[in-house]
Order: sequence, then structure tokens, then C-alpha cells
Amino acid sequence: MALTNRDLAIKWGAYAAASLLLLFLHALTLRQVTLLGVMPFLPPLIVAVIASVEDTAPSVIFALAFGVCCDLTIASPLPCLYTLAFPAGALVSSLLSRRVLQPGILRSLAVTALCFATVDLLAMLALSLRGGADFPAMLSLALRELLVSCPGLLLCHPLLMHLHRKYSL
Amino acid sequence: MKDFLEKHGLLILSAAVVLALLLSALSYFSATSSFLHNAAGVVTSPFRAAGAAVSEWVRDKQRYYRDYSDLLAENEALRREVAELRADARQVERDREENARLRELLGLREQRRELAFEAAAVLEHSSSNWTSTLTLDRGTAHGVAANNCVVNAEGYLVGVVKDVGYNWCTVLTIIDTDMELGALLYRSGDVAIAEGDFALMGEGKLKLSYLPSDVSLLAGDYIVTSGLGGFYPSNLVIGVVDSVHTDDDGLVQYAVLSPLADLDGLTQVFVIKSFDIVD
Repeated sequence: MALTNRDLAIKWGAYAAASLLLLFLHALTLRQVTLLGVMPFLPPLIVAVIASVEDTAPSVIFALAFGVCCDLTIASPLPCLYTLAFPAGALVSSLLSRRVLQPGILRSLAVTALCFATVDLLAMLALSLRGGADFPAMLSLALRELLVSCPGLLLCHPLLMHLHRKYSL
Repeated sequence: MKDFLEKHGLLILSAAVVLALLLSALSYFSATSSFLHNAAGVVTSPFRAAGAAVSEWVRDKQRYYRDYSDLLAENEALRREVAELRADARQVERDREENARLRELLGLREQRRELAFEAAAVLEHSSSNWTSTLTLDRGTAHGVAANNCVVNAEGYLVGVVKDVGYNWCTVLTIIDTDMELGALLYRSGDVAIAEGDFALMGEGKLKLSYLPSDVSLLAGDYIVTSGLGGFYPSNLVIGVVDSVHTDDDGLVQYAVLSPLADLDGLTQVFVIKSFDIVD
């Protein structure tokens, strides 16, 4: 059954509210936690989980809007890092989810890794172009960040899947 | 997927590129933050303040329940330090009077050091692992401007204001990879550059480069801002030398510095809005 425009607006409004809530929780609690020398970073997880369950077009547009919000509020090595990386990550995640992977938390885990890879590659590129950043250190940070952030799926996946089931099915 | 890319791919790509270029251009050209950036900062300020309040409350509770004997020992050490500082202060007063008399005799201009401070609360420590920033609750409304230096209560350099909004500003800490400061080796007066280094940022340290070839550095040497060019105030303590290394090519020396300001535990800082220093 096709969703009406009103249903779509409610669904994506719910996703936006949940994303903001997760970001607020992240700022309040997870940022105080440092494991392996890095903090967990939730935004790519949110983009990846939504892209893995939703259609490509809306999830890429959501990722674009979410990326702009993140660029406006979170410092990064490039002023437009998330605006570029999140839609790209969402596009790749959505493509893989539809073609290759079975639904579930493992799919979320795989697309999260992809989304992190996109964000981190861009960040590495920005830092390399600026000079003074050595590749092994950046790669090590990217891997540690992915490892430390992945448990965040235990929070993001159930919440966003619940919204997906509630408003899409 | 193919249909989607054919229908919307170009549109989404264009939107992403336009937004990215817009954000980059606004960030690059604007002296203060762009309108969007400013608005986002103003809107998120109360949430950041709430977050900071909760974090501070939790930290307070942790501090409260810490071992009582540690506090007693610290109290005793501080009492001794106060007594020593009082003795030093008395000596300083006598030296100041003598200095004034001698300056008058020699007709020298008086040294002056006037810094205008703005106290600010730290709303947020950086949320990203790729940068080291702080968000403060002071902005253009309080006279804060980009490139103002930020120090902690002891006067140790914390960082430099990067973006300013109406009631908030973002500070790049001295360990961030974007940071570069003229530095002075306090003991010898040698000039160098203190700069953030990606590999050291995770350890909370920074690098001292462009050292003169004949420099002799010792662990524990104080490094201060040089103030050359009048861009930043002079003699703000950046940190102490942790270790000295030679570059991979074996020709150039550099030092690793440990900041004296506790960058992770900051809750209140002071922005130096203006300065007038005559050395």
C-alpha cells in the first residue's frame, strides 16, 4: 500500500526527531566515553541504518539534509565534509542493501562500515591535502572510531527499525 | 537503482555540490560565522548548555565521592604552596619597587601588560575524533572575535577562537592540526613554531618545529607564545617540552610539547579580547 504525502511527512519527521534525539544523547553521554583513545561517533550510523531500510531517493535526500545539519553543528576537517559524505554513504549503503545484503542488524553493521569508510576517506583526503597528517595515524583513527562506534547500533538499529515498521508497513 | 540515478542522480549531486560549495565559501570568506552557521549555533546553544550542565553535575558527584584522604593530602600540599607563594609575592613587591627605581634612574620605558578578559563557560568539547575544539557560551554580543586567544584560569593557553556567532564561539585547541603559533623557548629565547600534529593530537600533545639548528632543548623547558607580529599576545604559556626527536631524514629536530592546560577537563576559560603589551 502506497503511503500518502501526510504519512511520508510523519515518517520522515519521526526519523528526523529520532536522529536529533540520538545526537543529543550522544552529546550528553557517549562523548564522555573514550575507548581506544577515541569517542563513539553516531551520525554515520543513523544515516546508514535509515539508508538500509528506506528507498534510495528519500534516504539520500535525508542524508543530505542531515549532513548539512552536522556540518553546521559539528567541527570537522572540511567545512562541507558531512554534506558530501553522508549522501554518498547513503547511496552506496542503499545500493548494497537492496542488491546484496539480507535485512537485519548485520546489514546495518555492513552499511555502517561503508558509511564510516566514506566519511573517513573524505576526512583523510582533506587532511592530506592540507599536509601534516600521516596516513597510518589516520587509518588507525578511522578503524578505532569504527570499532568503538559500532556498538551504538544496539541503540540506533532498534529505534530506527521500530519507526520504519510503525510508519512504513 | 539505475532508474533512480537517471531521474534524480544529477539533481542530488548538484544539490550536494552547491551546498558544499556554499558552506565552504561562507566558512572561508566570512570574518564571523555565516548566517546558517550562526543560526545553528544559537539554536543549539541551550541544548549544549543543558548537556554541559548535566555533564558537570555528574563530574561534581564523581569528584565529591573521590577518596577523602587524597583531598587532605592535596590540602596540605596547597597550604605549603600558599606559604611559599606568599614569600615569593613579598620578594616580588620588593623587586618591583627596586625595578621602578632603577628604570627611573636609567630613563627606561615601563613594561606594560594589559589583557582584557571575557570569562566563558565551556558548553561542549569536540564531538569529532578528527578535530579538537571547544564551544564556548560567548560570542560577538560579548565582544569576542575570531583569532582571540583563550586561556584557562592559570593563564595557560587553551586555543584560539575560530568561528564566532552571536552568543557562542568555537575554539580550536592548541593540539588541533589546524593550529600554528609563533613560539618562544622561554629559557633561551629561541623562536620556533608550535603546531598541531595529527598523530600527537590523540595523545593530547603538539609539536614544536622549525627549531634553530643550534638549539638545546631539555625536557620540562617552558614554551610560550612569541607574540611576534602582534597577532597574539606574547608570553602565554603553551606547554612544556616532553621529548626531543629528529625527523625521518635525520636532519631536522622537533620537540613534542605537553600543554599545561588540561584540555579535557576544562569547564571555564577566559577569552583575551584585546591586549596591549610593551616588553
